[in-house]
Amino acid sequence: MFEQLISFAGALEAQTGLSQFWWGNVVMIAIGAGMIYLAVSKGYEPLLLVGIGFSCIISNIPGSDLILPGGLFHYAYQGVALLIIPPLIFFGVGAMTDFGPMIANPKLVILGAAAHLGIFVALIGAKALGFTIHEAGAIGIIGGADGPMAIFVTMKLAPHLLPQVSVAAYSYMALMPLIQPPVMRLLTTHEERLITMKQTRPISRLEKIAFPIVIGVIVNLFFPPVAPLITMLMLGNLFKEVLVTDRLAKTAANDVMNIIIIILTVAIGSTMAADKFLTVKTIEIVVLGLVAFVFGTASGVVGAKIMNLFLKEKINPLLGSAGIASVPIAARVSHIVALRENKENYLIYHAMGPNLAGVFGTAISGGIMLALLGVK
Amino acid sequence: MIVPDSIEGAVLLSVIDFTLSIVMISGIGFILALFPLFNRLGKVDEAKLRQGQH
Repeated sequence: MFEQLISFAGALEAQTGLSQFWWGNVVMIAIGAGMIYLAVSKGYEPLLLVGIGFSCIISNIPGSDLILPGGLFHYAYQGVALLIIPPLIFFGVGAMTDFGPMIANPKLVILGAAAHLGIFVALIGAKALGFTIHEAGAIGIIGGADGPMAIFVTMKLAPHLLPQVSVAAYSYMALMPLIQPPVMRLLTTHEERLITMKQTRPISRLEKIAFPIVIGVIVNLFFPPVAPLITMLMLGNLFKEVLVTDRLAKTAANDVMNIIIIILTVAIGSTMAADKFLTVKTIEIVVLGLVAFVFGTASGVVGAKIMNLFLKEKINPLLGSAGIASVPIAARVSHIVALRENKENYLIYHAMGPNLAGVFGTAISGGIMLALLGVK
Repeated sequence: MIVPDSIEGAVLLSVIDFTLSIVMISGIGFILALFPLFNRLGKVDEAKLRQGQH
């Protein structure tokens, strides 16, 4: 009788995930719980971290069917793997973004490329650490500070690195207010940080309507590898700017965006299984991501200072770090650092120009990288 | 693959990509500098557009 009970308990245990549970699962569950804690108690990117954290916890329960084919998390991941989700995020972002600051001050657009040196420093660093060139490209793109673009390029170059790359990219984007200011202050003088910007010209409705159409054509013509993302960004923006499709623009910016965020976060968290995530490579990728953000910030500031050598009307070099794509976090950091020096120096509108250009800068860098690596 | 899978390849890829990115984004900046020309085509009546929402 007792033996029967033991064998019954053994069979029951085999049915559950308990027999496959190992310490790695415990660590990942703690990481997932930590993400939810940071989101709830510290307010760090709650829209992203709650979903990722929960899905990370569930994915580390052995026996959970959700991440297997047929499970809902699996299909959420397929949305990312088939590159459906990243363009839809851009669609929503386009519908909520005013590109006026970028159109108003075209000379600042170049900062959107200058602030991406970090991508290449991380790429070379990753290659030196023994990653393949495709993996190094995916790691480098973390420095673009553009979540959907990082996911898009990673899925094309090294899909197995998606959890590490996406977690590093989104984590550092949330930490930009801590990472960027020391670098910005180190590379600028007090006098430079005090430079005020001249008010820009007003942008007409016609220009705002023309912008997504012109950029849509250019991107599809010159950068087909990343065209799906920018095309959807421009479609969302066109819905917003034409004023006659207000209902569609609001749906894209709110309902579509919210649904996509739910699917995306669940998909990312579902890839964070302990056996894939707890590796030395993960630590290397996290460190390289930080290097990419620091160098990107530095190169943007230095780029603005180089521009000042040629400009009659000097620009505030703090605008340079806003060239990192993370919209609007990087622009807000430039604004706050300038405000600390002079309470009347409002840089936010000016910083949005290079910040928005950074989205195109990352897309262009990613597109060229895919082309040079022979990936379509 | 055009670029070799080596450190030299990574450096080459980085130099070409960064340089081309600067050139391309400068091109976009140049096109944006021409945007005021659109205003010569006329003016869009925003109030009318807002009324025509569906």
